Amino acid sequence: MSTFQQMIAQLQAFWEAEGCAIMQPYHTEVGAGTSNPATLLRVLGPKPWRTAYVEPSIRPDDGRYGENPYRFQQHYQYQVILKPAPDDSQDVYLRSLAAIGIDPLEHDIRFVEDNWESPSLGAWGLGWEVWMDGMEITQFTYFQQAGGIELEPVSVEMTYGLDRIGMHLQKVRRAQDMEWAPGVSWADVYLENERQFSAYNYELADTEMLARHFDDHEAEAGRCLEANLPLPAYDQVLKCSHAFNLLDSRRAIAVTDRQAYILRMRRLTQAVARAYLATQEGEDA
Amino acid sequence: MPDLLIEIGCEELPAAACREAERQLPELLTRSLSEAGLESRDSRTHVGPRRLAAIASVPPQRDAVATQQRGPRADAPEAARAGFARKHGLAVDELEQREGFVWAVSDGRAAPAVELVPDAVHRIVAGLQFAKTMRWPGGRFSRPIRWLVVKLDDEVVEMELAGVASGGESRGHRSLGAVRVGSAASYLEDLRGVHVLADAAERRELIVEGLNTAGEWIDPMGKLDEVVHLVEWPVVLEGRFDERYLELPERVPITAMQSHQRYFPVVREGRLDARFAFVANGGDAAVVAAGNEEVLVGRLEDAVFAHDKDQARGIAAMLAELPRVSFLEGAGSLADKAERVRELARQLCDRVEVEPPLREAVARAAELCKADLVSSLVAEFSDLQGYAGSLYARDAGEPPEVCDAIADHHLPIEAGGALPADEGAALLSVSDKADTVAVAFALGAQPTGSRDPYGLRRAAAGIVAIALERGYELGLVDLMAESVHMLVSQGHELRRKPLEAVPDAVDFVLDRVEPLMAEEGVTVDEMRAARGSGVTGPLPLAALCRALRDARGADWLAAIRDAYGRCIRITARAAEQTASEVRTSMFEMDEERALCAALTAADIEIADAAARRDYASALDAAALMVEPINAYFEQVMVMAEDPALRGNRLKLLADVVSTLRLVGDFEQLPG
Repeated sequence: MSTFQQMIAQLQAFWEAEGCAIMQPYHTEVGAGTSNPATLLRVLGPKPWRTAYVEPSIRPDDGRYGENPYRFQQHYQYQVILKPAPDDSQDVYLRSLAAIGIDPLEHDIRFVEDNWESPSLGAWGLGWEVWMDGMEITQFTYFQQAGGIELEPVSVEMTYGLDRIGMHLQKVRRAQDMEWAPGVSWADVYLENERQFSAYNYELADTEMLARHFDDHEAEAGRCLEANLPLPAYDQVLKCSHAFNLLDSRRAIAVTDRQAYILRMRRLTQAVARAYLATQEGEDA
Repeated sequence: MPDLLIEIGCEELPAAACREAERQLPELLTRSLSEAGLESRDSRTHVGPRRLAAIASVPPQRDAVATQQRGPRADAPEAARAGFARKHGLAVDELEQREGFVWAVSDGRAAPAVELVPDAVHRIVAGLQFAKTMRWPGGRFSRPIRWLVVKLDDEVVEMELAGVASGGESRGHRSLGAVRVGSAASYLEDLRGVHVLADAAERRELIVEGLNTAGEWIDPMGKLDEVVHLVEWPVVLEGRFDERYLELPERVPITAMQSHQRYFPVVREGRLDARFAFVANGGDAAVVAAGNEEVLVGRLEDAVFAHDKDQARGIAAMLAELPRVSFLEGAGSLADKAERVRELARQLCDRVEVEPPLREAVARAAELCKADLVSSLVAEFSDLQGYAGSLYARDAGEPPEVCDAIADHHLPIEAGGALPADEGAALLSVSDKADTVAVAFALGAQPTGSRDPYGLRRAAAGIVAIALERGYELGLVDLMAESVHMLVSQGHELRRKPLEAVPDAVDFVLDRVEPLMAEEGVTVDEMRAARGSGVTGPLPLAALCRALRDARGADWLAAIRDAYGRCIRITARAAEQTASEVRTSMFEMDEERALCAALTAADIEIADAAARRDYASALDAAALMVEPINAYFEQVMVMAEDPALRGNRLKLLADVVSTLRLVGDFEQLPG
């Protein structure tokens, strides 16, 4: 039986052999591996790109003080982008499951319709959630649009829910009981982290400061865009997004403001996407 | 005749797309073959998540058909003529010239089916209409097309589709790989050998059989149709869960099983059992069952956690949160929404004259009915909206009538879906939906094309279904005007004028009456005539539609239509010459007095009958007008020289039109 870290190493090896650039998690909080520029920006434009990486997904509102068996304010995703989407992407995906010890003859593995949309990223795609014996283990999406731009070529994104898969492989009912490394449990590594961050996210985070930060990062993103620096601009958008998520978990976003916040982030992301694409075209010229 | 087999292999199609394909394929197959020049027979289609298959007998060839096509002008540039010639497989000097044009003339040639089938396959794929499609590097379809089998008897028809070359090889169950398909005749058997049941009816039969073996299964959320298209090799398995989860209110575990997981609960002696049946697509039965049990336990645990948390919090605390939760962009909070719904419910109760205790219960339920939208249980299981609220209202000591009204107030969930059984829930449902539609229209958020993000068509269909079932006279205009009025007084800004938005919203609801009437045999013309009467409620509209349908073909109805038409034509022509009111002192002829008297009588009769929604009697009363109208036209000089006299006579006819129109705009009926 693999430890959590071995399972990750197996996925890394598998996708490396498939020609992916193995990236590392992004240095700024993201709600999902999709927001990492290695996905959101790299899927724009015509250049082929294959990448795979672990992403700690930071969702303050999912925190449960470490008490829930599978809900955390930080959970691990494994993110794969294949651009353009190959003809056999489902088959490759199924082989990756075999690589971590999931035998497709033993399990009932199915692709069940699920369509994905992120209003604040101006992104959407069609695909499936992959079920293993009734459990959703992966989000499998053909990206149609990102940053408000139609994607050509279409990329395929596979987002594995590592905690759930690890629990299943290790036959434990709580993520906390998973073996991370020999003799080290998930709880040893992250339980205290969940407690403290849940308390911070729900009880302590300074909402006035966060609202101010949102405005500041938004303005800074605008300045970066004016200077034609879409990459630093995008980092500022991610910081806006995290501030928004914290404000949300503090229930500090008034009803009428919520949509407006999302719209502000979408506008920025779209401007970043356009500027990024223009830079790419400039390089090609 | 050779048998044609077409199998379009796809990545997993959504169940909804499978159902769309099932509806469209049979006709599309025959039509596409015919357009390609092949008249087929004995066709059948098989639909599943990974393949759309079509089978038909086709003639071995299309006979030669002589054709002549006109091309560009004879003096057109060389390039244009060459292009035309190329298109028809000719050299430029083979084109004929006459009447100043070049022509491609051909005796035609017989074409073997193998040359025509590819065109038919392309037509089928292009002709399938899915609500949602996607792009992939290769094409656009519901999901990517990955293989293609096209065979005439045992010969492969070579072609390419969406970057995929046809062949004789299909794919079996994911765990078993590829398989050679012999021909149309052996198709189903060849696939069965690799664990694929290509035929949906066969899968359904097998599933139902398996479920019956599992016990007395139930499917209150209607998942079976979908499950048929989630598997290719259905295996019904059973799972168990701990009895203690049965302590949850019954619909909670049922929803945990059915929503998302698509499991089938099992009952024993009328009570939920701690077992469930589900449909797998292969795998080791013990492993798969254990995995699914684990998933369900997780969901039940979530349900228990959420239910406990909600109970600890109580409905009062939930209510206190509503002012901070948005209902619809620009329409304020859920607290604002609840306030409007309560007012609408009061009005509606008065209008349909319910007993005061129920009226009070519905008003109270309106205050509480949105509270569960901030509950943890609804956050986990959105299908429990309403039901969750009723549980927490009961915990807070609210009377049963209030709880019952809350429980099913969001029904019907879809057009044609189950209606609230409880009268309070029905009243609340109408009030809630009328507010949603009115407010969305006032904010300019009405549906456009296929976009209906707030589900307004569904809401409108719900209003209509309840009104017709319960015989409610809704007073829709007043209800919706009240919504918009309150929206303003709550401090929200409208994006459309109430005088435009409210009638539009009412019309939008009345539109939903039409499909129901069509099912009852009412024609489009009759519907238009009824809509033209200006009635503003689903109930009178339906009654009038039915009365017009029942009168179809009657001589007296034709007589009303003709008389009405005469009045319309003359008054429309001379609208500006019409007096503002009829003065009986200006009557000179008996026919004027007679028509005026008949009009007065008809006014009363029609208003009276319409109030009872007895439109058959209203039509009878209208029919009594025919003779005085015709006599009037024969004897009275309407366009008299004296403008005052002319104005008076025109005005009498205009009044006749207004009265007759109350039972239908007869001009819409066919002559």
